[in-house]
Amino acid sequence: MTTTLKRMSALVFASAMSLAVVSLAMVSSRAMANGEIGDHVNNLHAHISEYTEEVHWLESKFGSVVDAYAAKDKSLKTDALIEYWEEVEFHSAIETQFVPIYASIWQGIYGVKMAIDGGKSLSEVRKEQENLNHALWQALGAVKLAAQYQKKGLVDVVKTTEKEPTTGPEVIDDIKTRLDRVVAKYAEQLHEVATTLVHDTYLQRFEGVEGDLIAKDAALVEDLEKDFNVTLPQAISKNKGVDSVRAVVETMQTKLDRARALLVEAEKSRKDVF
Amino acid sequence: MQRRTFLQGLAAAGALGSMPFGALQAMTQTGSVSVETLPKLEGDLTLYLGRGEGGLYENVLKAIEKRNPKLNLKVRRGGSAALANTIVAETKAGVKRADLFWAVDTGSIGVVTDAGAAKPLPADLTAQLKDGFQYSSWSPVTGRVRTLPYNTKRVSEQQIPDSVMALADSDLKIGWAPAYSSFQSFVTAMRILEGEAATKSWLKGINRNSKKYAGELGVVMGVERGEVDIGFANHYYTLRLKSGKPDANVALAYTNNDAGCLVNASGIVALSEGSLPANFIRYLLSTEVQAYLAREAYEIPLVQGVDQPQGLVSLSDLSPPDMDLRKLADLRPTLNMMRDVGVL
Repeated sequence: MTTTLKRMSALVFASAMSLAVVSLAMVSSRAMANGEIGDHVNNLHAHISEYTEEVHWLESKFGSVVDAYAAKDKSLKTDALIEYWEEVEFHSAIETQFVPIYASIWQGIYGVKMAIDGGKSLSEVRKEQENLNHALWQALGAVKLAAQYQKKGLVDVVKTTEKEPTTGPEVIDDIKTRLDRVVAKYAEQLHEVATTLVHDTYLQRFEGVEGDLIAKDAALVEDLEKDFNVTLPQAISKNKGVDSVRAVVETMQTKLDRARALLVEAEKSRKDVF
Repeated sequence: MQRRTFLQGLAAAGALGSMPFGALQAMTQTGSVSVETLPKLEGDLTLYLGRGEGGLYENVLKAIEKRNPKLNLKVRRGGSAALANTIVAETKAGVKRADLFWAVDTGSIGVVTDAGAAKPLPADLTAQLKDGFQYSSWSPVTGRVRTLPYNTKRVSEQQIPDSVMALADSDLKIGWAPAYSSFQSFVTAMRILEGEAATKSWLKGINRNSKKYAGELGVVMGVERGEVDIGFANHYYTLRLKSGKPDANVALAYTNNDAGCLVNASGIVALSEGSLPANFIRYLLSTEVQAYLAREAYEIPLVQGVDQPQGLVSLSDLSPPDMDLRKLADLRPTLNMMRDVGVL
């Protein structure tokens, strides 16, 4: 227990440190969550103890699956890993607050599942289990931090309807969040959904800002066009793995940061309508 | 006659007494007018706004709100097609939530006008628009023309046929974006103008010597890189590329009196009676808004007397086909045909 608490503290601290840098991303994902949107995502603070219990429960349940594998239990069904994850309310709490870690949890779940289904050695399965547990605790840290932001009124209320971005920089922020979701859907093994999301993000979001961007940096737009239409869809269709898809997305997000700065600059230099 | 008709309309609306003289004068002219002469907007308006052009439409709305502090403008945003369907559903249910619908494409406008949800616009308002763009139940705002961007290192303008249909028989390597909505509207125009068989045959012909791109900016950039000789795209992608990269190896060619030089438009529909929605539309047709959208978004002003974006031939020198743009709403047969041919 002490070890668990220490580990949890360390992970929460690490999460908090990294999340402080990316806190803006938390004012974000919204709307597209699979789970139900209710008090458990809009009043996180009141639910932190439940979430902590759920993470302990998940760790134990995932552990029992791996233990059954170690015991060569013939009745073992790895789909249980997914069922456990879908059962907890913590699921939508992290999904609505910090999609990149949500993706890591799915990656971890499928890491364990595929290692068992593929008959890998117990040490390899245990390594995947460790990654999964790490992601869970990191997610709890993220949700705790989000709860603090929420309490201070620094994050928007999560709604079931998606809020349309209205300015170029807002569109870029939205694109970055959608790309995080692409990784999550890919990690969830929903490859078609991930591909459709890339396509929709390109047509419904990027196309609206690329006109302004091309006059500022044609090479950047050309690069992102290729990323949206070739590199990322291919990384998904060729099933290159979550880390590869995430790497493509992170590279795109860096380029999008540059695009955002250009759009801010463009808006500043624009003449008034009247 | 037009002035008399307009004044009768105003009297019927009970709005005459509230109009400043400048507004009256401005509203009886044809051509663009300055916002300085337009009536102040007061009251509640709900606008359904189809997404497009990044934040430029939003900037226009903010400027209108700033100029009219007594206007309480509520905006619902979404894809044009989705909002059009919402309006139709609301109309059928007898629930009116929107007073105006500003869409980026005429297909969505057609869906709304066909459902009988549009209210007639004052004749003097539609008279401000250029010939060929005057409609009684909706107003175009700005236009975009279909063009043939070509690589200036690989092709000379003389090699490019002035008939879009002839391109299917040429040896030119062509870039296109069949999944792109503007391209599908263009094929719809071709289907209406040239017929099903000719359009099907054209699609097959182009498909033989083409390279697909996801969007039309991709087409223009593919042309510029020399991956293809020529492409199909709306005009503004090339103008924007040239503004950021003046030495880009791309120029625009135009076809003659066919779907290849179709001028499509963004447009607005009044869904409520009364002077407020119509007067809101007058702001979009003002000299300032038209010039802003031409300058910042390279869109074509469709009101008389406003300059076009630089680098585009004059609208009067183009010969777009004569067709009711709302017919472009009839997209389903086009998509079926494109699937049959295997280009989608």
